[in-house]
Amino acid sequence: MTPYWDEEAEEDGAGSMVRPYTITRGRTVPERDDFSLITVLTTVQDPRDEHGAPVRPGRHTLQPEHRAILERCRHPAAVAEVAADLDLPVSVTKILLADLVAHGLLLARAPLSVARASGGADLGLLAAVRDGLRRL
Amino acid sequence: MTSSQAAPAAVKILIAGGFGVGKTTMVGAVSEVAPLRTEEYLTSASVGVDDLAGIDQKDTTTVALDFGRITVSPELVVYLFGTPGQERFWFMWNDLVNGALGGVVIADTRRLETSFASIDFFESRGIPFVVAINCFHGHNTRTAVEIRAALDLDPDVPLLIGDVRERPFGRDVLLALVDHLMTLSVSEGEAAPEAVPEPVPAG
Repeated sequence: MTPYWDEEAEEDGAGSMVRPYTITRGRTVPERDDFSLITVLTTVQDPRDEHGAPVRPGRHTLQPEHRAILERCRHPAAVAEVAADLDLPVSVTKILLADLVAHGLLLARAPLSVARASGGADLGLLAAVRDGLRRL
Repeated sequence: MTSSQAAPAAVKILIAGGFGVGKTTMVGAVSEVAPLRTEEYLTSASVGVDDLAGIDQKDTTTVALDFGRITVSPELVVYLFGTPGQERFWFMWNDLVNGALGGVVIADTRRLETSFASIDFFESRGIPFVVAINCFHGHNTRTAVEIRAALDLDPDVPLLIGDVRERPFGRDVLLALVDHLMTLSVSEGEAAPEAVPEPVPAG
């Protein structure tokens, strides 16, 4: 009933024809490790290098998934949202995102610090969250 | 082409509780989008091998989580993450729990024990939380006092009883969490008004 190649596909996981780490060219760790699930990413509209020249990545620099991310992040999106939209595992998504940040094509905003050790979330932030929730 | 949008700041709240207790249901009830699902690989390289005993023979396991979002303002977005039902995975996943504003533990009165591990987890990590008793089956026959005793809850941990399918209840649970966080923030400020930072030993 089940052809042998279906078993192989199952072992590959994710139901994808492409092994996820093929998309990252075998890399399993991002260039930077400071992305969290809620780091917010925004596509740079007019990317420039350090000399002010426009950045035009060659067609061999970016994978189709990179381009899909740049399209998705025209509206700011968190790492988890990008991963869900692209149907890729979070760790694979982070590698692709780090590539784009390194090329100056994507901006990353770290989450607000709410660490208890540093005093927890401030009251102003909590009040803003409360006001927003009340409108639900 | 539209002008560049400024990225909003993001915070997250964890929605925990035993398997099938209504975590994704609550996320969906309050989220402005249908719950999204994403996956992560967790490898045994990041944990003691014992932690994977009995779960899987493979070195890598895949864990799915559902999440939603609430845009509080153009500058601020709250993400709600339903945690994987098996708490033992959380320790493998620092990214999920680090930096969380707080947590919600959903419990079902017919099987309160399935939420013990979530409560233990938040307590051990020092993450403030509230408890939401989900009675969408309409079978809650226990009082808040009985439930508190059964869960061994600290008296100051808020406990709400309602139906997590309903947005107003989900909203009230989240508001109770925020109020709880504000209370903690104020009381900690009063408790240590002249706190002197202690030198942190290297390493």
